Amino acid sequence: MRFKGRTWSLLMLLLAFTIVAAGCGGNSGGGEGASEGGGETKPVTKDNKDVVIAINANFITLDPHNAGDTHSISGARTMYEGLMGFNEKMELVPMLAEDHTVSEDGLTYTFNLRKNVKFHDGTDFNAEAVKVNLERIMNEENNLRMRKSFSKVADVQTPDEHTVVITLSEPYNAFLNKTAMALIISPKALEDGIDITKNPVGTGAYKFKEWVQGDRLVVLKNEDYWQEGLPKVDSITFKPVPENGSRIAMLKTGEADFIYPMPTEQVSEVEGDQNIVVDKIDSTIVRYITLNTMKKPYDDLKVRQAINYAIDKEAYIKVVKSGLGSKLTSSMSSMTQYYSEQSGYDYDPEKAKALLAEAGYPEGFEAEIWGENDSETMKGMQFIQQQLALVGIKVEVKSMEGATLSDQINSATPEDAKIQMWYVSWSPSSGDADGATKGLFSSEFFPPAGSNTAYYKNDNVDKWIMDANKSVDPEAAKSIYADIQKQIWEDAPWAFLGVDQVITGKRAYLEGVKAFPDGSINVLNAEIK
Amino acid sequence: MSDNSTATVISVPEETLVNRPATGKFKAFMSKFMKQKLAVISSAFILLLFIVAIIGPHIVPYPPNEPNYDALMEGPSAAHWAGTDEYGRDILSRLIDGTRLTMAVSLSAVFISAIAGTILGLISGYYGGWIDRLIMRGSDVMFSFPDLLLAIGIVAILGPGLSNVVIAVAVFGTPSFARIIRSVTLSAKESLYVEAAQSMGAKNNRIIWKHIFPETVPSIIVNVSMKIGGAILAAASLSFLGLGAKPTEPDWGAMLSMGRDYLSIAPHIVYFPGFIIFLTVLAFNLIGDGLNDALDPKTKN
Amino acid sequence: MGRYAIQRLLGVIPLLFIVSILVFMFIHLIPGDPARLVAGKDATLEEINGIREQLGLNLPLWQQYVNYMGDLLKGDLGESVRSGIPVMEMLESRFLPTIILTFTSLGWALIIGLLIGIVTAVNRGKWPDYIGMLAAISGISLPGFWLGLVLIQVFSVQLGWFPTGGIDTWQSYILPSFTLGAGIMSMLARYSRSSMLETMREDYVRTGRAKGLREFTVVGRHALRNSLIQVVTVAGLQFGFLLGGSVMVETVFSIPGMGRLLVDSIAFRDYTVIQALLLMFAAEFILINLIVDLLYGVLNPKIRYASK
Repeated sequence: MRFKGRTWSLLMLLLAFTIVAAGCGGNSGGGEGASEGGGETKPVTKDNKDVVIAINANFITLDPHNAGDTHSISGARTMYEGLMGFNEKMELVPMLAEDHTVSEDGLTYTFNLRKNVKFHDGTDFNAEAVKVNLERIMNEENNLRMRKSFSKVADVQTPDEHTVVITLSEPYNAFLNKTAMALIISPKALEDGIDITKNPVGTGAYKFKEWVQGDRLVVLKNEDYWQEGLPKVDSITFKPVPENGSRIAMLKTGEADFIYPMPTEQVSEVEGDQNIVVDKIDSTIVRYITLNTMKKPYDDLKVRQAINYAIDKEAYIKVVKSGLGSKLTSSMSSMTQYYSEQSGYDYDPEKAKALLAEAGYPEGFEAEIWGENDSETMKGMQFIQQQLALVGIKVEVKSMEGATLSDQINSATPEDAKIQMWYVSWSPSSGDADGATKGLFSSEFFPPAGSNTAYYKNDNVDKWIMDANKSVDPEAAKSIYADIQKQIWEDAPWAFLGVDQVITGKRAYLEGVKAFPDGSINVLNAEIK
Repeated sequence: MSDNSTATVISVPEETLVNRPATGKFKAFMSKFMKQKLAVISSAFILLLFIVAIIGPHIVPYPPNEPNYDALMEGPSAAHWAGTDEYGRDILSRLIDGTRLTMAVSLSAVFISAIAGTILGLISGYYGGWIDRLIMRGSDVMFSFPDLLLAIGIVAILGPGLSNVVIAVAVFGTPSFARIIRSVTLSAKESLYVEAAQSMGAKNNRIIWKHIFPETVPSIIVNVSMKIGGAILAAASLSFLGLGAKPTEPDWGAMLSMGRDYLSIAPHIVYFPGFIIFLTVLAFNLIGDGLNDALDPKTKN
Repeated sequence: MGRYAIQRLLGVIPLLFIVSILVFMFIHLIPGDPARLVAGKDATLEEINGIREQLGLNLPLWQQYVNYMGDLLKGDLGESVRSGIPVMEMLESRFLPTIILTFTSLGWALIIGLLIGIVTAVNRGKWPDYIGMLAAISGISLPGFWLGLVLIQVFSVQLGWFPTGGIDTWQSYILPSFTLGAGIMSMLARYSRSSMLETMREDYVRTGRAKGLREFTVVGRHALRNSLIQVVTVAGLQFGFLLGGSVMVETVFSIPGMGRLLVDSIAFRDYTVIQALLLMFAAEFILINLIVDLLYGVLNPKIRYASK
């Protein structure tokens, strides 16, 4: 009898121990199995038309006029549409407006609206709907995020049911991009006073089903969508999955059909897997280090150039971006409007040392770099520290939690700002050149007013930015932006590093889901094959 | 990290550690301790770690911070026994070099909380009354906060850096020390010779220092050894949240959390730091258990 | 007994009040400006100030506290600074996943912990004791986030046994609750071992043995029952700590619970949500402490409550 009791307890022990041991020992096995390509041999198919998309953060709001983060905008765009839209190159295309004309003085925009479009609640889409939406955005009391994009609108007229005329108080070159950001909500839903963040009603290809804070957003096929034959799937479910390793695991197991962002580290691993397709496109996200041009020694152009020469951009992409990205060749990405390619600052540590010596720092100097505390940023800062050490600049890496960092940067006046170098990224929210330039390089936008953390001030650049904004002719704007980019490149207020790729992973049977260069996800053409 | 803070309050049945003169029984203790095979092996392992921590910089096969972009994430080989990391640095060298750092962080954090907790516990237990209630309610309040917020708060207020990690880990280790020492103090106070000393008119300070403090020493030793493991894990968890060591420093926890993105493509990057953390924490815990048994007067041989 | 319970309950009120002040001060001490974070990186100064005013962040701190407490006493937790959604509504959807997670973790930790405790105590000094304690202590020797990631890699990706996370099926809770419970399991195993050893030395157990009762009966009926009371009490106390530990586990396993909400809210300095969550954690912790205290008295008549 005693013996029996003991055998039983031993068995339990063994079981408990195996579980723990499996957890530890499995680690090495995990690598081997995975490098062989997931193990499955037959291509997997899907027997329903419900698509699951895993993204790295929560949706903040579904109010399209108040959404600031890319994911919320992606979510809103499944259900809403604007007068204009973006294609996958971030170029403007007609959406709810069939076409438009701009007056020669750049002040009057006339939109001809698409006919026979209905909101999900059955209301007709017409000029009045557009007017109601613009008024909602511009109403100061609502304090919506979109308001500043429409601050130059002086008047909105609706001469007939399918025409909207918008008059601006001064020319605004990026205005059309903004109309693509202003998504149109059903006027009836707005009038009824229902909370549109909980019950979004638009004209988009998908209808709202449910939004469970922090867990999922589900949208269903809109049977009456105005574009023939679309959408081709029954539902789309977005799930926030913050941890990189967990997100990729979901793609491998098929719990997610599409993930964004695809962790760069793991791209090489799944590339041999026939069930998984990785898509890479150049983004509008640029990575750089701002150099405080008002602070010694960064006030010396030679020092700033030296830093640019001292960093091997190719190695940066290889090490920090796992080879997925491209060199930054201007102050904006090649995917941004009015980009103009610059050249120079090829890796040359000897030249960097020579420049430092000329500037009076033959032995280098001690420096500090700031950045956020996510693992990717920390990886980048570590790389920069290693590179600059080779030319004698001893960098201390300070990673801070985002909100703390923002406080540090914005609570200082330009003169006493402690910031030296900041490793950061930027992406213009509507793909326009203004968004990629003004807040970063105009001297009006020193922190806390804006993000010019290099405290860069160049009178020509200041003036050109204003001119470009007011120019009506795209060609003229293009040439002004070329001048701006050339000047910034020469003045080197940044160490120009790289352009991210937008990398997505999907199951092979899924088609038509795409990430755009700004990192938003488009599901209009989603299809299960 | 949250589990650790209470683990030791409980795992040392408080009443078993008192009623025993702390001096003069070293031999008996050693003979009891030496019988705990796991604890003895663990002690040898920790001793080895301390030696590595001291001579580490002299025995590293490669400079621990020197990148080699042509040898990224190479698996273990004859040249690199533990492989190379995402910058092509030798992982073994970083582990050896990081021993000192990791040990220093966890030891100093635990010592700070042991000292603070002991003082608070002694005061609270000896004097009782409002000061006891104040200290105990204070530790209740601290217990009711998730450690994470305390840690984020402390690191955010003080700024990033290892010394602030030490403070954060020490702060959330203090209340449990205070509780344990308080309960030991309470029973020690009741014992005869304290009463005798009191009746002879000895000063409070002297009674605490001469008579009560020695009673608490075994509990302190046991808890310190158990908490070190917890502190290593807490520091690693802070790294996971991006609040730990500077990414450039070869702290084990930082290596583990920085390397986690590579878990499926180059598992050795997280496997080795994870394994060494596991062994170290395990060893400290086993020593703690061994000490607990050896110092427990009721334990029979 | 009844009087004692009421006294203790009333004592919770000032404690919660102090916690609320501390929480409030602590949150505002942490650098970071919610208005700026809400406004986004390309916001103008005017916009930020507008938001600050809207949120009442331009008022003196004491006034903000008074306003907050005023609303709180009326049962209004306010709206999320970041999303404008009522905090109550956010908590409603976040509450259940965390509670399920913590209870399942506690459940299995209790069962396995007790089993290991019994087996090791009965076989004290023999090899099952060593293996058992090694297994138990292993549970507390791994960083939780690492264990979680490894479990996903092995059991979800390689073996395909369990989902990688989420809350869609009951299976999704298996890996996270294992991860979260590992530390507690190890602690309970050690505690039940030592308390078993202790009770087995007690006279009545020895008497039982001397009377020739079977070892199984001695262990099962006498020693176990006594240490069970203590172990369950201790397990109850762990509840608060599990809530804290859920933060990391919920991140790794993408569970939309309160822990992850806390992390997200801290990152955005979403004051109202952080305050609500922390107060709730604190209240829960204090309440469970209280229940455990009272239960202990019920289960163990040796303890009398003196009303001082």
